[in-house]
Amino acid sequence: MNKKLLGVALALVAILVVFLLLTWLLGSVFNIDRFKTGENPVLRFVFVIVGLLIALGVYYATKDSKAWEVGTRQVVWMAIGAALYAIFSWLFNGTVFVVPSVSQVALRPAIAIPMFFGYAFGPIVGFFTGAVGNMFGDALTGFGLYPQWSIANGLIGFIAGMPLLFSDKKKSLDSVLIAGGVLTALGILIYFLNPGVVNQLVYPFDQPVSVFAGISILVGFILVVIVRFGFGKNIDIAAAVTWGMLGNILGIGFAALSDIWINGYSPSVAIVGEFLPAAGPNLIFAAILVPLLVVAYAAVQKQSGR
Amino acid sequence: MLVTWRYHKRKSLIQWFDPRAWIIFYLCFMVSTLFFWDLRFQSFFFVISLIVLFTSGVTWKEIRRAFIFIIGFIFIYAILTFLTGRGGVEAYKQEHIIRSLSAQFTIFGWRPTLIISVERSFFAVSQLARVFSIAVMTILIPYTLNPSLYGVTFRGLGFPDKIAYAMDLTMRFIPTFGRDFQLTMDAQRARGYELDKIRGGLIEQVRKLGPIIVPVTIHAIIGSEDIIDAMDLRAFGIGPRTWLEVLNYRRRDRIIIAFGLVLLATSLVLLFLGYGGFWVPDILIRLVGG
Repeated sequence: MNKKLLGVALALVAILVVFLLLTWLLGSVFNIDRFKTGENPVLRFVFVIVGLLIALGVYYATKDSKAWEVGTRQVVWMAIGAALYAIFSWLFNGTVFVVPSVSQVALRPAIAIPMFFGYAFGPIVGFFTGAVGNMFGDALTGFGLYPQWSIANGLIGFIAGMPLLFSDKKKSLDSVLIAGGVLTALGILIYFLNPGVVNQLVYPFDQPVSVFAGISILVGFILVVIVRFGFGKNIDIAAAVTWGMLGNILGIGFAALSDIWINGYSPSVAIVGEFLPAAGPNLIFAAILVPLLVVAYAAVQKQSGR
Repeated sequence: MLVTWRYHKRKSLIQWFDPRAWIIFYLCFMVSTLFFWDLRFQSFFFVISLIVLFTSGVTWKEIRRAFIFIIGFIFIYAILTFLTGRGGVEAYKQEHIIRSLSAQFTIFGWRPTLIISVERSFFAVSQLARVFSIAVMTILIPYTLNPSLYGVTFRGLGFPDKIAYAMDLTMRFIPTFGRDFQLTMDAQRARGYELDKIRGGLIEQVRKLGPIIVPVTIHAIIGSEDIIDAMDLRAFGIGPRTWLEVLNYRRRDRIIIAFGLVLLATSLVLLFLGYGGFWVPDILIRLVGG
């Protein structure tokens, strides 16, 4: 086992220990309801451990891949991505630009930035772009910090960068598309089983999720499918949009589900009230803006030869 | 060309401390503030933030735009809370109503009703104090942190060299890209591109944002080549990094860190003992005859 792999393994074990300690300390010692593990505590940690093992496995299987390299270029790209994401999220948070929201769907086009940077420059750059960019964006607006949303945005960029790990981009695409489709269908199903859940993203928090916000994820998914097959010849566009979609669903899903513990939401509120109205519109923006960025970047690459 | 934040040397409480010490204190302060809804505890943080603001040496002229924006934002937020009573629903169980105003009309069978209660009003005040403290402490940071110390500050906080440098560059790029965004927008406007009123369906609206987002992003990526070359010429990332400036903790820095940690620990203890929840003074409730 080489030194770097050992380092990664140790870091993952440390994350697990911190998790266990926090839950034990806050749940059992201080009796805070939110952190109580409830029924099947072992099962929940099995999920955490499985998640960490998957991370280790992915790293081990691909540790020679160029995607994990962090050199001068990556450092600068990280900074550019994070700064752009911060600026765009600040501008479109309804501060400088008052962009009208269409039936509860706020225009948040900035989400295309971590997806594009993840796709073009690899998972590490994507993660930094999402996580640090979100942090600075929130700080600029004066919101304070929300660590779970920073991590969620980081995950979006990270997963969008996954195709760099595959030598053949085409092969993985269809399974990613199917996985996204299954998750989308699941979200829609939960929406129709729980109508009238209050939208947690539209202030004041008293309107139920509108039908459009509820099914926007389906609209987004259909757009992604159109882009995937409509631009099937340009595999870069198809891969960027498809993986970005998976990143968006998993990343926002992570933040929404973590709010079950952090904000004390019930699972249906977390999924219908938070996940769908955030992930759906994001998907629509991504399906339109990411291809534009990929095409523009390809032109730059051709010109500069890098 | 890089644009910078409006930092310059000032006689200032914040700048008297080591930037690392200040960031640590800021984080402790922010987390502690988030624990409390009780105005009595909040006012303590509120006073600290006011002291920091008035001793920061940042002039009104410099901070005006950012400040007006944030104050406006906070007020709108608090007023919405007050009008709708949402947001505080879990904080209090019963309301003592001062006055209830009903509209003369109905919208689809729903009559807009404004209920003014002691709890709602007080909740809005508490929220105002809470958000204000955090916002003031946050917006002062770019004005008072020396740009040439960004990197070494993040390194000193324990980030690896490359991540610290990336954070440094991020903070430097933000104002630059803000300027680029403005330039691009002006250029597109000059070509007759309508950005102020974006019309059409959702998909049409998003598509119309392409002509600003794409050029700004691509311009930033092309511009990055110069910075990459400059860093490569200086052998960035070959060995462990040394920083031009050296930071040393002095006694006052240790004191402010200790103060921050004590603040955080005390807040945690108070939280676990069950203090800090939403509080309404009894006298107000008695005033309305509750």
